[in-house]
Amino acid sequence: MESRVLKPMLAVYVVAFILFLYGPFFVLGILSFQQGPDGGPQFPITEWSTYWYRQIFGLTPPSRIAPLPVGEALIRSLILAFMTMVTSTVLGVMSAQAFRRKFRGSGVVFYLIVLGMMVPGVLTGLGTSLLANNVFDITRHWYTTAFATHVAYTFPFAFLVMLAILNRFDGSVEEAAWSLGVSPWKTFRKVTFPLIFPGVLSAMLFAFTLSFDEFPRSLFAAGGTEDQTLPLAIYGTFSVEIHPNIFAFGVLTTLFSFALLSVYGILMGLSVRRARKLAMQEEIA
Amino acid sequence: MTTQTAIFRIDGVTKSYGGVKALDAVTLEAGVNEYLSLLGPSGSGKTTLLRVIAGFEAPDAGRVYFQGRDITNVPAHERGIGFVFQNFALFPHLTVRQNVAFGMANGSESISADETAQRTQAVIDMVGLTGMEDRGVDQISGGQRQRVALARTLVMQPKLVLLDEPLGALDANLRGRMRNELRAIRERMGVTFLHVTGSETEALAMGDSVVVLDRGRIIQRGAPDDIYSNPQSPDVAHFLNRFNMFDGVLSAGNFAGPFGTVAAAKATRALRDVYAIRYDRLRVLPVSASAEGPALKATYIANEYLGSSVMNFFETTDGKVVEVEHHLSLGAPEIYEPRQDYLLTWAPEQAIVFGREGK
Repeated sequence: MESRVLKPMLAVYVVAFILFLYGPFFVLGILSFQQGPDGGPQFPITEWSTYWYRQIFGLTPPSRIAPLPVGEALIRSLILAFMTMVTSTVLGVMSAQAFRRKFRGSGVVFYLIVLGMMVPGVLTGLGTSLLANNVFDITRHWYTTAFATHVAYTFPFAFLVMLAILNRFDGSVEEAAWSLGVSPWKTFRKVTFPLIFPGVLSAMLFAFTLSFDEFPRSLFAAGGTEDQTLPLAIYGTFSVEIHPNIFAFGVLTTLFSFALLSVYGILMGLSVRRARKLAMQEEIA
Repeated sequence: MTTQTAIFRIDGVTKSYGGVKALDAVTLEAGVNEYLSLLGPSGSGKTTLLRVIAGFEAPDAGRVYFQGRDITNVPAHERGIGFVFQNFALFPHLTVRQNVAFGMANGSESISADETAQRTQAVIDMVGLTGMEDRGVDQISGGQRQRVALARTLVMQPKLVLLDEPLGALDANLRGRMRNELRAIRERMGVTFLHVTGSETEALAMGDSVVVLDRGRIIQRGAPDDIYSNPQSPDVAHFLNRFNMFDGVLSAGNFAGPFGTVAAAKATRALRDVYAIRYDRLRVLPVSASAEGPALKATYIANEYLGSSVMNFFETTDGKVVEVEHHLSLGAPEIYEPRQDYLLTWAPEQAIVFGREGK
């Protein structure tokens, strides 16, 4: 009786959920194939074409619509996301490792770290820019001040992922390595790290994607036009006029994200074998 | 202060966890090539003791000596003491061969690749894992994993190996076989073993010497047969799981228990008055018979076949279960009627009496 009512309701809910999740992207995807350069960002599609994709790569004759000023911003964003990913993951692994043992003030430190993802991004960005301008008197750049805010934001995510992984980690394999005369650092490299690698991968993915499309912090913490990250550059084009080239670009970045996820999936699949072995070992215990 | 023959010695080691003393001023010594069994119930501190010796835990007080050197503050990886874990703690991402070679390949000592390969193969052959070298540790059985754990430790040629209930995870059949293999390996290699176990049969079977641990203290140490026949306290007798224990009052050489008052010629000093009779020292008579020695009326409940013997369970009038073991080598067991009363009797000199007025 219950399931006869509940199940259809849940089914409708799931469909609605997926519609809201993918609907906008689907519409953008269709509109990105609008005819150019005269076709606007709305239905109906006057003629199917790949004009806007070609326009992004500068393969179309010059027209009144300027190409998206995203080339350098994209490079900047990729480098920034990479830097953030490496820094946050290293910090996340190190701090989560520290939390395996209770230490004085560990509770306070925990909340201080996690606060980084709670504080509104606009405030962090604004605060950082004020700090840079008025207190330290340093110039803001995407690779200095913005980088710092990105790390402060993504580090807690990496930390929490690693904390969850290390929580389940059976420390006796490390002790076994020590008792075989292997130093703690080498034990970490040869035993701990390979076993927590799936978690490290997830932490890296979080840090990279969060940094890559981070907007409010970059808005204030990055400097002028020559310091714009990709989200800022895209936002800049909105203020003038919207053309389907933004949709085309959106589709391309989404494909890039999917590629990234696929790499993650493949690497994860490879380490699942390892995780299964670990589970076997836990069963004996 | 260590003697020449002692390979290790711990001196007054104390370790507390949140106010609870896991180890309370424990002093213990073991000689070269000795097999020491540590017997104790869970929570007696036996695993903590091993972890302190291995260097995984630092003692709150006391010193640890190994090969004449104070190693209390030496980190685990510089101690050269082997440790075999209860869950084996194999490296799940490595093969059998890589597990065994791990210490040589990654240790501070530089061992040539040739020697590593050679020693690895030798020890794999020794524990009987030839042909399994390239399997993952998830592709072998429990007993084989146990042997990998052992091989991994022995290949480093430690002078002291700590075994933390390594047979606990195996089934009874395998346990017996591994027990024999452990003895053989030790005789071949001349290593001192310190084996923690919760099983009294294992402790008695394996050890040259058995140490009984209770609530963080060593309550008796001796040869297995000595411990078995002369438990020094009611607690030791209890852990051996071989004695019927009766509470009562010891006064002026007489023990007053549920079986009346019995002369107790010699009594061991203890904090409480307890009368202990080994399971196989009791005889069962019909209830009408007149016993020569002390006797206790009890109702037969059931029996349990143990292979080489039969365990009969009786219940006394005050609800206590008394176990009587009949060794089958002494002939076929008698058949008792359930719910019928019988008379249990024994020779008083075979009983072990503990009491406050004992010596």
